[in-house]
Amino acid sequence: MRAVKSQTLYWMAITFVLFPVLILLGIYMRSVQAGALPALEGWFYPMMTLHGVGMVGVWYVAAVACAANVLAKYAAPSPAIGRLAIAGTVVGVLLLLACVFLGRFAAGWYFLYPLPFKGEWPAWSAVVFLVSLTVLGATWLVWSLDLLRAIAARYSLGQALGWHYLAGRSDPVLPPAVLIITVSLIASVAALVAGVIMLVLFYLELATGAPNDALLMKNLIFFFGHTLVNLALYLGVALAYEVLPEYAGRPWKTNKVVVISWNAVLAIVLVAYFHHLYMDVVQPGVLLYIGQVASYASAIPAAVVTIFGALLLVYRARMRWNLASILFFLGLAGWAIGGVGAVIDSTISANVRLHNTLWVPAHFHTYMVAGLVFLVVAYFYHVCQEAAAAPERTGYQKLLATLMVLGAYGFFLMFYLSGAYSVPRRFAAYPAELAHGAIYSGIAAAFAALFLLGFVLYLVETGKRWRRALAHAS
Amino acid sequence: MLRHTALLAAAALALAGAARADTAADGKVLYEQKCAACHTIGGGDRIGPDLHGVAARRPEAWLLHFITAPDKMIAAKDEVAVRLYEKYNRIIMPNLGLSEADARAVLAHIQAMTAGAVPAAAAARPSPLPQPELAAPQSAVLTTFLVLAALIVAVFGWIALSTRSPAEVDVKRAYGVRKVFFVTAAVVLVALLVATLPRAPYARADLKPDRIVHVAARQFDFVFSDEPIVRATDIGRVPTIQRLALKAGTLVEFRVTSLDVNHGFGLYGPQRQLVAQTQAMPGYVNRLVVRLAEPGQYKAFCLEYCAAGHHLMQVGLTVE
Repeated sequence: MRAVKSQTLYWMAITFVLFPVLILLGIYMRSVQAGALPALEGWFYPMMTLHGVGMVGVWYVAAVACAANVLAKYAAPSPAIGRLAIAGTVVGVLLLLACVFLGRFAAGWYFLYPLPFKGEWPAWSAVVFLVSLTVLGATWLVWSLDLLRAIAARYSLGQALGWHYLAGRSDPVLPPAVLIITVSLIASVAALVAGVIMLVLFYLELATGAPNDALLMKNLIFFFGHTLVNLALYLGVALAYEVLPEYAGRPWKTNKVVVISWNAVLAIVLVAYFHHLYMDVVQPGVLLYIGQVASYASAIPAAVVTIFGALLLVYRARMRWNLASILFFLGLAGWAIGGVGAVIDSTISANVRLHNTLWVPAHFHTYMVAGLVFLVVAYFYHVCQEAAAAPERTGYQKLLATLMVLGAYGFFLMFYLSGAYSVPRRFAAYPAELAHGAIYSGIAAAFAALFLLGFVLYLVETGKRWRRALAHAS
Repeated sequence: MLRHTALLAAAALALAGAARADTAADGKVLYEQKCAACHTIGGGDRIGPDLHGVAARRPEAWLLHFITAPDKMIAAKDEVAVRLYEKYNRIIMPNLGLSEADARAVLAHIQAMTAGAVPAAAAARPSPLPQPELAAPQSAVLTTFLVLAALIVAVFGWIALSTRSPAEVDVKRAYGVRKVFFVTAAVVLVALLVATLPRAPYARADLKPDRIVHVAARQFDFVFSDEPIVRATDIGRVPTIQRLALKAGTLVEFRVTSLDVNHGFGLYGPQRQLVAQTQAMPGYVNRLVVRLAEPGQYKAFCLEYCAAGHHLMQVGLTVE
């Protein structure tokens, strides 16, 4: 358990270094779109690729690291595999940096086949990119499997999924966080296996020259990417289930409704990705309709069970508000608001007007930044504060949370407005017909800078505690 | 720093065994296959420079060398080649596998077209664009989102404020509220599904369009034609539609494919709003059926990221 705690602190350090850098890349992108950095426009797409892969990767590993730390209370993840996860991630990130900065690789974070082979970057950079993803994917697959092994050593599969609650039994007691982590890791393994199959198909084409099927590859990449992003968010929610009760002074236990809800999530998350292919009419129609039904269905367990449960937990509670509890609470609100944007986008008849406009980054930034990021950094602060037991400056903490909220929602709103005005995502510069996109970009860059300022203040507050926590752990 | 656009390289390989051109007519085919995705002749700069009058601006020997081996010239740091590379977003012109005879034929075509084309700078100024307007569907989407987001903020705010007066909560009553919330949410979502699924824009087998337009997407342009274009080599051989004009109210079916990577075919109306879209995928044809009721200038932009010239990939059409 001690080793896992130390590793969690190392993951925090990695996140604290990478996240501000990736935010700067986001600000750079919006500034280029605003026309403020014409000399650097040529780097837009490589930086877009780095920003996307980096953000998805950083917050996935940060969420899994937090989940591993929670699990260490109830089971015994392998410290050796934990070290392997850190090493593999560092190697993967270095390879990624090499292909982007030395090769200007720029196929985007979901690198739709066959774009990696058909861009203006050299062939070697595409190979390095694929190797980087292979290292990351293989490492995370092993890590996920080890965490599942640790759960299996303590609970049977049925117990870990809470099925005994459905039969009216509550022995053994299953913390909701363990239930959600189990569901998320099963989905994670499925997503990573799909990713491995996709990478093998890329390599086979490299080796034999035989082209792959573009529709099959699109399904594999979206199943992999969509599922990974979603389950990272669920892991963030698991942290709220685990920690928020401590601040509310009330329990948040597993019961029949929670079990049904999260078992349903497992089924829903595996088919909701079809909504990424609405504009591919050649995809069998029934799958596209399943995409909308599943996307709508995912709102029920999220809104009715988790959000309602969290609100009930906090309602008129003797709440101890500090940076952790504030960010957990805000994180759940961000998840809900981003979810509304996502459900609207998952409506086929609306998607035809929104697909690949800035409405898409609008909703995923909402639930990733104001949802997952808030939940994870809340947990980081909680862990550090628990170890450091330092006096808390309430006013300072409220100030930085306010800056982060204002900055985040300001730049989200620019995305939403741009999306409603049909401004496409992923344009380095806007043509005359879409020139209004540049105005929103400029305002968004300013709000993103405000968010960064708030996060730097967070780092000051948490960094001191992190150093003490590290000293305690070692 | 050598880079290549593998799309065009692949097209070049596909053509490797084809008969070499030595006439302006063959030069037209080669130009449309190899050059038109990035250049115009009198239509202004795109990914690369406008080629109108290029034969008068550069020595023939330099042009022949650049057309046949642009990569080598940039590697050799030819002053003009490097300047062009820097000016056009550091996108290197790929080696297209053209012979000197091919290059001469392409130049002959460019010169023939130059004689008849008006340079972009001298062409009539485009009319000013209308103010972007929020179309009804987009307006409904934005309003719905903002109202629901405000509702969530209000509920979270109310719950946060409630902690100022702590008290025990009647859990049984709360679960009753949850039941009502569940039923309401389920009914609303099912009703929305019932209302929206039949409005999915997928082409139905029984739908008879007034006009079928084939669209071939490639890095970084769209080609309209009345016949299918399924391979890069079809371009220049299948008649293409240079200026697509449709009558207002026409039910048009766009049959959209890609000759290289995934693209998006996003159709924007005169009010600069997205009216319909589909993906352009290599090896597949997506059917987009849309009635273009409002007269005016429409534009299709690529809505799926497709490499460095993505944001420049567009085509116009007119609804009269």
